[in-house]
Amino acid sequence: MMAKRRIKTTVKYVILIFWTLVSLFPLYYMFTFSLKDNREIFGANIIGLPAHWLWSNYKDALTTGNMGLYFMNSIIVTGFTIIFTILFSLMATFALERMVWKGRKQVNAIFMLGLTVPIHAAILPVFIILRKFHMLNSYQSLIIPYVAFALAMAIMISASFMINIPKELEEAACIDGAGIYKIFWTIICPLMKPAFSSVAIFTFLQAWNELMFAIIYISDGRYRTLSVGIQSLSGAYTTEWGPIGAGLVIATFPTLIAYLFMSKKIQASLMAGAIKG
Amino acid sequence: MKKKILSIALCLTMTAGILAGCGAKKDSDSGDKKTLTMWSIATEADNMHSSYLKAIEEYEKAHPDYKIKFETFENQAYKTKIKSAVAANELPDIFFTFGGGFSEPFAKSGKVVELDKYYEKYKDLLPEAALKNQTYDGKLYGSTFTTPVSMMFYNKAIFKKNNIEVPKTYDELLNAVKVLKKAGITPISTSVKDTWVLGMLHDGLTLKSAGPTKLQNALLKKDGQSYNDPDMLQSAKDVVELKKAGAFEDGATGLSNDEAVQPFLDGKAAMFFTGSWLGGDVNNKSYNKDDFGVAPIPVVNDKNATLGDFMGGASDTLMVAKSSKNKEVACEAAFEIAKNISKNAYLEGVAIPAWKIDYDDSKVAGMTKEIAGYTTKAHSFTLWFDTLLQAEDANKYLELLEQLYTGGITPEQYVKAMADQLDSTK
Amino acid sequence: MGSVRNNKKAIAVFILPAAILFIVIIIVPIFMSAYYSLLNWDGMTTGKFIGFQNYVNLFTDPSVNFMKTLWDAIILAVFSVFIQLPISLGLALVLAKGIKGERFFLSVFFIPVLISSVVIGQLWLKIYNPNYGLLNAFLKAVGLSKWVHTWLGDEKTALMAVIVPILWQFIGYHMLLLYAGVKSVPKELTEAAKIDGATSWQISWNVIIPQIKPVIRMCIIFAVVGSFKTFDMIYVLTNGGPAHASEVPSTLMISLIFGRNQYGFGSAVAIIIIALCFIFAIGIRRVFKVEED
Repeated sequence: MMAKRRIKTTVKYVILIFWTLVSLFPLYYMFTFSLKDNREIFGANIIGLPAHWLWSNYKDALTTGNMGLYFMNSIIVTGFTIIFTILFSLMATFALERMVWKGRKQVNAIFMLGLTVPIHAAILPVFIILRKFHMLNSYQSLIIPYVAFALAMAIMISASFMINIPKELEEAACIDGAGIYKIFWTIICPLMKPAFSSVAIFTFLQAWNELMFAIIYISDGRYRTLSVGIQSLSGAYTTEWGPIGAGLVIATFPTLIAYLFMSKKIQASLMAGAIKG
Repeated sequence: MKKKILSIALCLTMTAGILAGCGAKKDSDSGDKKTLTMWSIATEADNMHSSYLKAIEEYEKAHPDYKIKFETFENQAYKTKIKSAVAANELPDIFFTFGGGFSEPFAKSGKVVELDKYYEKYKDLLPEAALKNQTYDGKLYGSTFTTPVSMMFYNKAIFKKNNIEVPKTYDELLNAVKVLKKAGITPISTSVKDTWVLGMLHDGLTLKSAGPTKLQNALLKKDGQSYNDPDMLQSAKDVVELKKAGAFEDGATGLSNDEAVQPFLDGKAAMFFTGSWLGGDVNNKSYNKDDFGVAPIPVVNDKNATLGDFMGGASDTLMVAKSSKNKEVACEAAFEIAKNISKNAYLEGVAIPAWKIDYDDSKVAGMTKEIAGYTTKAHSFTLWFDTLLQAEDANKYLELLEQLYTGGITPEQYVKAMADQLDSTK
Repeated sequence: MGSVRNNKKAIAVFILPAAILFIVIIIVPIFMSAYYSLLNWDGMTTGKFIGFQNYVNLFTDPSVNFMKTLWDAIILAVFSVFIQLPISLGLALVLAKGIKGERFFLSVFFIPVLISSVVIGQLWLKIYNPNYGLLNAFLKAVGLSKWVHTWLGDEKTALMAVIVPILWQFIGYHMLLLYAGVKSVPKELTEAAKIDGATSWQISWNVIIPQIKPVIRMCIIFAVVGSFKTFDMIYVLTNGGPAHASEVPSTLMISLIFGRNQYGFGSAVAIIIIALCFIFAIGIRRVFKVEED
């Protein structure tokens, strides 16, 4: 019995470690890629360590355009996108899952449409709408569509967490005389922390890496985001890939940190047993 | 509780206010200066970037009342951006675009300015023939600055080692391919995944088989010239013949342009057919310059074409938006800046000028000057198929060319399908 | 409680911010696209109203071969649901049960999701490269030279070659969602089952999976809808080629709208993608009924 168990554990770890290597490889690849020149990237040395560690790629990436500004813009756009997405989706989910009204099932279904729209098909219509509202070339010309496109996913994630919150909690609060806003604020919100983190991670990924809206709705360099900035490291016909790799490392770094932070939050909130059956 | 909600509401309105404030900040024209906005694909990483910057600087110096706000975007994404901007009427004052079929709908949309009367002033410096790719329905819609052409780049060292002369005819090219193949060297590196790279060779051979008049008539659907013609068939057959002779590396269908050009630059492949911009790259980068040579694409049928017929031409274009608030100035600037870019790019050795050379060019780097030597004596320019043709035809052409290469269709089927496609969009 | 849950004003306050954004940015554009899909329009000059001709052409024009792109998307969706999701679920279950290094593995397995598709795409180009690619080198090393292949450049293998990286990249994505789901299963339930003598396999199958049905349902919806909208990786690896072998509806749509200037025609593809995704999403919700729905 013990022996069998040990074999099982060993197999489990072998698989996990194998998958760890497979998952870490792109990180290694991105890092070495960022220190090579085209000659190594395309042929001479595709996965080995760089022959010459070209730290100058980082200098090129950082001194091209105004990367510091682009970085700040990305943080502003992504930050507000996350805040509004969490807030609006949580409110909407509460109304859809916990309030009683006619047509809520239909409204719930309609929100799923947000998952289905291909971003490229929306470029021109959204462009025309933003133009009508005089919102081009500003942070909100990205924040508004990002939030709108993230809502469907965020509402689904929030709903799947809210289903597990027992209704008795709200009913007890209600008997104690709490109003609906208070119930939402003091009962639901604290219990939804793990959902916050999940929504935050996925919204972050979408907004941080988004390219098409960012390149088309922003023509003014002052509001340019990092993903567009990195893209402009490629030339019209020929491209040095090393600096692009460096730019991507710089862009991915905050993603990793944000993720580690959020995943810790998810875990902590789950571990605390916030949700009791 | 109410307080909390109130504070949230307050927070929200405040952030909204900040955001609105950020967006509303208008381009405050510094002093009395007026601003012209200009878009292009010459990103900071592009070898044309500094030519643009210098050109703009020169323009601003000569026109102290105006300031150019220059924004650049990556090539592929820019194509989407510029089309969307035309659709939504959000164009900047001056913008870069591609001549030929790509910009035809821009001209038709009525959102760009006709430039004929502004061109008068520059007639002596910019030959009218250079502007045919910016002319739609007899009216001029753009200025131009460089003349990229397809060239045959080759490795001098490899040629020498195998006793190969630079091929001037198709037969010599085929022969060179056979010799190189036998010696175990990849004769021609190309990308079929980025089909336009293979197009550089195919278009060149077609031109050298049919000649400029016949080819242009067929592509522009003029004078009843069909693409289904023995001369077009010949070049399609040649591409297949080259492939059969082992001219291209095995995996060309799976390679991108970046992946295909590298073996050539590393001296592992003997030839690479592409635009003259590669000359600029060879000049400016750390490759062994002396190893590389450049020559016109070999002639297939000397009754129809010569070495002096070139695939390519002035396709880089500057257009002016009708919605511009300073239209008159912008139109003049489109020519002035184009003139300056033409000069600067040539002096920096990154591009072939479209404007007359009225300055000292003795210091221009080797390969670029060599190519300019060919193009100034050129008999004709024919724009690449995928640039000259309108979008629908261009896409179909690239698709058919890929199939021709993989053997999915025969050369006969290929020319017939091309003719059918061109007929269908007449 | 009933009257509190009925509070009309509160409902409006909760739902309106999301609803307004949603209507302006999602619903209105869908209607605009639907209108465009009835035009013969290049996106820039004046369009011509042609009724449903674009839709007819979609299914009859052999050069577009729309049915084939749908097929490709369905193949991708099937692989996602039956290969990718089970792997994600397996990893989530193993990790959530609390093994040594749980947080480390959780973090690492998510890394492919975090890295830009540009890098992932470049990496897979290196794996598939016909001359120096890792896959061909591996095959040669283990004596399977005859399997050596131009993976992305051959019509027979291109589709599978792009599907593998897409599946691989998003395993971590679903794993994280499922992990949070598994973690939120009340401990009392699993412990009760343990006391009854259930094996860990039985606990997973009989206790945890039924409990996380809403999360699994959501993952299936994301996977299927994602398959019909997938674009990035295919664009980098093959751009739908060679000869449309790896074309999916979204690559076709983009090449129609922005490549071939057939905005109306491309919009018709968009509307079909939206309709299909919506039908699938609703259908999956129905099939996986969760109480209360």
